[in-house]
Amino acid sequence: MAVPIANQIRRLRFDHGEMTQSDLAEKIGMTRQTVAAIEAGKYSPSLEAAFRIAHVFGVRLDDVFQWTE
Amino acid sequence: MSFREKSAWITVVTVLLCFGAYFGAIAAGWVHARGLGALYLLAHSVIALVVLQLVLILIAIRTTPRDGRARHDEREAAILARSHTIGYYVLLISVVLLFVPVHFGHPPADLLNFVLLDVVISVLTVAVAQIVMFRRGA
Repeated sequence: MAVPIANQIRRLRFDHGEMTQSDLAEKIGMTRQTVAAIEAGKYSPSLEAAFRIAHVFGVRLDDVFQWTE
Repeated sequence: MSFREKSAWITVVTVLLCFGAYFGAIAAGWVHARGLGALYLLAHSVIALVVLQLVLILIAIRTTPRDGRARHDEREAAILARSHTIGYYVLLISVVLLFVPVHFGHPPADLLNFVLLDVVISVLTVAVAQIVMFRRGA
């Protein structure tokens, strides 16, 4: 079931030189499959993982994730 | 496919093959449930299971990219935890159901096979639950 949280990870990866899911996964200490699941909205990451993702892109948390309800 | 999903598939296939052969032979009456025949068959099934799993796991390691073999992360840990919870309840229910053959006076050898079947079913449940959750991306 999709979670009510949108994310901009695909766009942010594109903006950062077409960073691959594997590259992002390695930077945040996760598997590529988990990054793919987060990006597709099938998995809600922990707060720590969310902050790690935002930190990799150098943006604020709400620039990466948005509550959609 | 990640290494962990491949591992779950390997568990399903090898357990079905090895214990399917064991329980199939017992159910078909080729081997009597009581006696050395069943014990030898069980020993061969377990050895075959271990060897098959080792070989297939080694193949999976060689054919899975490095990121697929990375240490499990929070999502995979959650999937493992949920699948083991489901397997625990399946084991709990199947053990409680063992009271039925006990009250029908089945001999101890049959009861031991029922216990083994309960364990096999719960192991399969855990592996299948993992595959379903990995496939869903949950």
